[in-house]
Amino acid sequence: MQDRPTAAELLDALAGFFRERAQHARDRWERFQFLVAANSLAILKREAELEEDAILAEWERLDSLLGPEPLPLRHRDRVARLRERNAELCEAIRAGSFDGEREGELKRHLYLTVRDKVRIASPDELGEEETSG
Amino acid sequence: MPEETRRVVPIAVRRALGADAECGEPRLLAGGAMHDSWAVTARCGGRDEDLVVRVSPAGRADHEKTQREFVVLRAAREHGVACPRPIAWGVCESGEDFLVMTRMPGDTNPRQLVASPEYARAREAIVPQLAENLARIHAIPLAAIAEAPNMRAPAPGEDPLVALRRQTEAEYRQLMLDPHPAIEWAFRWLDRQLAAMPAPKSDPCVVHGDFRIGNIMYDGEGLTAILDWEGTHLGAPEEDIAWFCTRVWRFSRPDLPAGGLASRDAWVAAYERASGRTVDRARLLAWEVLQNIRWAVITFMQARAHLDGHTVSHELAAIGRRTAETELEILRLTGVVEEARRAG
Repeated sequence: MQDRPTAAELLDALAGFFRERAQHARDRWERFQFLVAANSLAILKREAELEEDAILAEWERLDSLLGPEPLPLRHRDRVARLRERNAELCEAIRAGSFDGEREGELKRHLYLTVRDKVRIASPDELGEEETSG
Repeated sequence: MPEETRRVVPIAVRRALGADAECGEPRLLAGGAMHDSWAVTARCGGRDEDLVVRVSPAGRADHEKTQREFVVLRAAREHGVACPRPIAWGVCESGEDFLVMTRMPGDTNPRQLVASPEYARAREAIVPQLAENLARIHAIPLAAIAEAPNMRAPAPGEDPLVALRRQTEAEYRQLMLDPHPAIEWAFRWLDRQLAAMPAPKSDPCVVHGDFRIGNIMYDGEGLTAILDWEGTHLGAPEEDIAWFCTRVWRFSRPDLPAGGLASRDAWVAAYERASGRTVDRARLLAWEVLQNIRWAVITFMQARAHLDGHTVSHELAAIGRRTAETELEILRLTGVVEEARRAG
């Protein structure tokens, strides 16, 4: 395992550096570019902290929607397989497999999955009602 | 790239105003990934004219698009819409297309308009002004734009919502970087709404095509001009009314769906008053869901422009992560968020 700082701590330090540079930017364009860079680093920091749990929860819900499947050991295999399972879910939605009584379960899954993505990508977009639970 | 189009400016100005026009120093205006816009003051017949010269780089072959925008702007001006007056369009010998128009007074920064205390009066005035102008756009007689080449339109008798839904799905399938179950479900939701709705009774009208708070000019009193007419086509009024409400164009006021300026109800009511039309709310909701899907597809396009190496930019790359907030808005509009919250 790696020594401190953790990925999240290192990304935090970098984001701080870019925010500081934005304060002293030469013009509006440069300021904006530094702020976007700081924001991207903040996304990566939240991803380092939250993505593992989000993936496990998404996997479990897909087990229930598409049928259970053992979770791959490695992170990169989980991500690759999750992408395929999402493609399978899309196919099933298109085919009308969730049009009836299972639609409620699907909608709950869509909400939780999108909410977890937004928590990482743009948490300010979550309304107050959506930040808990 | 901008420096390559700068030398087109005096050529375009002389074509617009005559060979004896004197052209001042061009100044590059912000925005525009497809072309460069130059502000310039020209002296002609003892008078100064403030102009904007928009130049498409050679090789883009934008003649048709430029001519279309010229015809559309002329028709809009004639029908009382606040927009630049087009003066000339053409092609340079070196291949660049240009459009010369009058420069309108005012500011374009939407963040300042939605948030700044000094624009409180403008915010008050601008919602009915936008509604009136949008109603005028939708009332432009089709004969006034007959000269515009290749104007996009739904097939005869086809519901414009169905036409745009089909086009958006084709783009979605072609451009997506990852599978998006929420968007897949939203298409299904849209189809159910469409099946339950009566077909629209009115004929297609002129639609601005990119009617949002970032494409207008304003001053302390309110609206001064509506800009960016490149996407103008024939369709349904709801396309513009709903695009104005999409989440991404509210800036610091997501609580005010109509461009960060007003509630959805106040905006639609202002449009109904101005146009004399009745807007079917269920149909408008379906349009707003579709327009948010369109924005999601645009986020794929922007991220792709970077990932494909076409335009290397960490800013474009970061837009790829904005798909998620757009999906969340789609789930809000379709009641999924509310339902999930009630279920706990």
